[in-house]
Amino acid sequence: MAMSDRLLPLSHAPKRATSETLLTRILLIGIAGLFLGTILFLPLLTVFVEATRKGWTPILESFQDPDTRSAIRLTLLVAAIAVPVNAVIGLAASWAIAKFEFRGKNLLLTLIDLPFSISPVISGVVYVLLFGAHGWLGPWLSSHGIEIIFAVPGIVLATILVTFPFVARELIPLMQSQGTSEEEAALTLGASGWYTFFRVMLPNVKWALLYGVLLCNARAMGEFGAVSVVSGHIRGLTNTMPLQIEILYNEYNFVGAFAVAALLAALALLTLVAKSALEWMFAGELAACRRH
Amino acid sequence: MSVPVRVRDVEKSYGRYPALKGVTLNIAAGELVALLGPSGSGKTTLLRAVAGLERPDSGNVFFGDLDANGLSLRERRIGFVFQHYALFRHMTVFGNIAFGLRARPRSTRPSEASIKAKVLELMRLVQLDGLENRYPAQLSGGQRQRVALARALAIEPRVLLLDEPFGALDARVRKDLRKWLKDLHRRTGHTTLFVTHDQDEAFELADRIAILNNGVIEQVGTAAEILATPATPFISGFIEGISMAASPRERQALLRPVAVQ
Amino acid sequence: MLIQTRRSLFLTAAALSIALSASTSRADKVLLNVSYDPTREFYKEFNEALAADWKARTGEAISINQSHGGSGKQARAVIDGLDADVVTLALAGDIDQIAAKTDKLPKDWATKLPNNSAPYTSTIVFIVRKGNPKAIHEWSDLVKEGVQVITPNPKTSGGARWNYLAAWAYATKALNGDEAKIKTWIGDLYRNVPVLDTGARGSTTTFAQRGIGDVLISWENEAFLIQQEFGADNFEIIAPSLSILAEPPVAVVEGNAKAKSNLEAAQAYLQFLYSPTGQRLAARHFFRPVDPSAADPADIARFPKLDLVSIDKDFGGWAKAQKTHFADGAFFDQIYKPTN
Repeated sequence: MAMSDRLLPLSHAPKRATSETLLTRILLIGIAGLFLGTILFLPLLTVFVEATRKGWTPILESFQDPDTRSAIRLTLLVAAIAVPVNAVIGLAASWAIAKFEFRGKNLLLTLIDLPFSISPVISGVVYVLLFGAHGWLGPWLSSHGIEIIFAVPGIVLATILVTFPFVARELIPLMQSQGTSEEEAALTLGASGWYTFFRVMLPNVKWALLYGVLLCNARAMGEFGAVSVVSGHIRGLTNTMPLQIEILYNEYNFVGAFAVAALLAALALLTLVAKSALEWMFAGELAACRRH
Repeated sequence: MSVPVRVRDVEKSYGRYPALKGVTLNIAAGELVALLGPSGSGKTTLLRAVAGLERPDSGNVFFGDLDANGLSLRERRIGFVFQHYALFRHMTVFGNIAFGLRARPRSTRPSEASIKAKVLELMRLVQLDGLENRYPAQLSGGQRQRVALARALAIEPRVLLLDEPFGALDARVRKDLRKWLKDLHRRTGHTTLFVTHDQDEAFELADRIAILNNGVIEQVGTAAEILATPATPFISGFIEGISMAASPRERQALLRPVAVQ
Repeated sequence: MLIQTRRSLFLTAAALSIALSASTSRADKVLLNVSYDPTREFYKEFNEALAADWKARTGEAISINQSHGGSGKQARAVIDGLDADVVTLALAGDIDQIAAKTDKLPKDWATKLPNNSAPYTSTIVFIVRKGNPKAIHEWSDLVKEGVQVITPNPKTSGGARWNYLAAWAYATKALNGDEAKIKTWIGDLYRNVPVLDTGARGSTTTFAQRGIGDVLISWENEAFLIQQEFGADNFEIIAPSLSILAEPPVAVVEGNAKAKSNLEAAQAYLQFLYSPTGQRLAARHFFRPVDPSAADPADIARFPKLDLVSIDKDFGGWAKAQKTHFADGAFFDQIYKPTN
């Protein structure tokens, strides 16, 4: 504070831009570190410690269990459908919202946020009300032999609903800040709509898109509440990894539960590592885009 | 190459707010015309309507004998320079300038070799030799503006449209670029329409000036004509700054191009 | 870029087809048994025995899919369309709900099989820590100062309702049916509960895994399972003088089974529960078989002898008990006020 009153030649200017004392900084960093350590890191560590408590053999054995294998397969399948669907729909919705003016835009924005603000359990219940035997579409679906709820399609739909905002929420602010002029420029230069989309718009948002997709994927694999409502919990058929973790835990199979939990956590961590690695590999390009 | 541009009774409103209330303007082939006016006067809307970025509610735009209303943006072949350049941030300078050529359908797309030759030629024209591998973020404002211009010229446009081309630059760079643009126009001879809110810029650069206010053109004429006989009280007020601010010698300089013609 | 997109699309499609083909079934016939939580281990073994028996008798391969969850939640799922061929739930009331809300089950489903369609029974007992440090032997010990009791919430858990009603039955006997005194006594009991979990398995984990509480009120079969899973030398099972007879019922969901042409198999499945094999397996998994003659005598010997009241005779059936005790504003709501 006192420093700023004095006139100093530029070369003698304080190295730090802020004027907080060292103590304040240590305190702030300490609080943040402690918080992340206890809230985030410790539980994560517990998962891996608990999983390996009895050594590696029981872990490998628990992955031999056909129900667990089917849960892993189902989770990957659900993510493989839900994430691309959300990437495409999220991209389209963000584009519409960021680049065009239309009636009902605010409503659409609110709707996109809705899955964030309502409990996933409610998202699941909504699907039961819609597709359940006594739901609006239930009788028609069952008379045509189409299974949605308590089957894989219901799980996929619930996951799509819950994870929808991740891509759109990453893209909308970025697209809004980038404006429409680059796309307009591309169009005036004679580019077709698709060419503009793939060569101008997509590259401009690819990092946000990637980040949204990774978050969406982590959440899609980890979704519990909504999936629990629509799954029907049929062993080996409609249990995803999170549901299988609960089942194993309830069966007092703690090693098995923590082994699957560790795998799930590892998959989530892997996506984040992949993101960091990509960022590191393309650091230069990324900086160039941001500075503009 | 250059064609005359005729704007006939163009109207455009946004919701209930009328931006253009029936504008008619004729621009001769190779002419450099400034659209001048306060903000909200409709000058940018007019420019975008000529470009095809806005669809007029009524009225026509002709490029030569061609009614542009029926043409797609690609078919219009206009060179548009945006106020904030709108360079493709993830492409190099070379990529930016080559964009319009590479985006052509395969049948009309030039070979990579001729694209390269063309881009390098344009880079020489806008004095950016050697910067082809830079990204826009690594350029100064003036350099970016010149990349934007080269990119627009690459598609050999019928008409060159510039939206506040120097609006985001500092005063010194602006002065340099003005002179340079005038020079470039003389060499390439494109029919050029540019938007500005800066009276000095308009009066120094343009062959003719169209002054807009509230969605209508209040007066069109050469700098000398407008200074000598302002058509409306608004024009008198609007150009007052010029007569007052410019020193006699500067005004002399300012009037010279007109006098030469 | 385009090529990459195409490639990833192809990979996704490939992954999908592999995953889908892997999940298609391998058996001629597939039944879905929708059950409640504590039956997982029993039905795992029972299903294998049934499949072997079915194969021997008909030559058909049959496989059984299992769904487990809270009994009430499972009934709800069947009502909402979960395609169960048979339900094997904790309470007759839950199957009544399915019969009431859908036309997939006859209203008199309970008469279709012997013993009110309950092939095995169970009861409510106590589990204490090794050596019984708080000397808990009877319901009256649970209301003592300083005793921590673990039981789930009767509003959300079927098992917890049995616990509550067993306690009520004891209090009724001990206090000569004085309703005001019984309510006070039950109130004292629930004041000793530090954690009111939503489900029976949650309470078990709280007690056995997290080490909270002095006594767990639990299903008898759960109590044995806890000893088996967490070590018989860590926990002791205590049988109070009086408890309640729990009759977990089973029924064929005829509507679903017919639609899948599974009716015969579903009926055979439930009948097999009453067969000597079914009864022996039930006893092995700590359910009291209705016909103990086929079971291993050693298994039967494990069950303590105690007086059992019946929900039908002593509480007037589930519907009445539900209304009197657990509906909003009923006895439990009047008695139990959360302290925090």
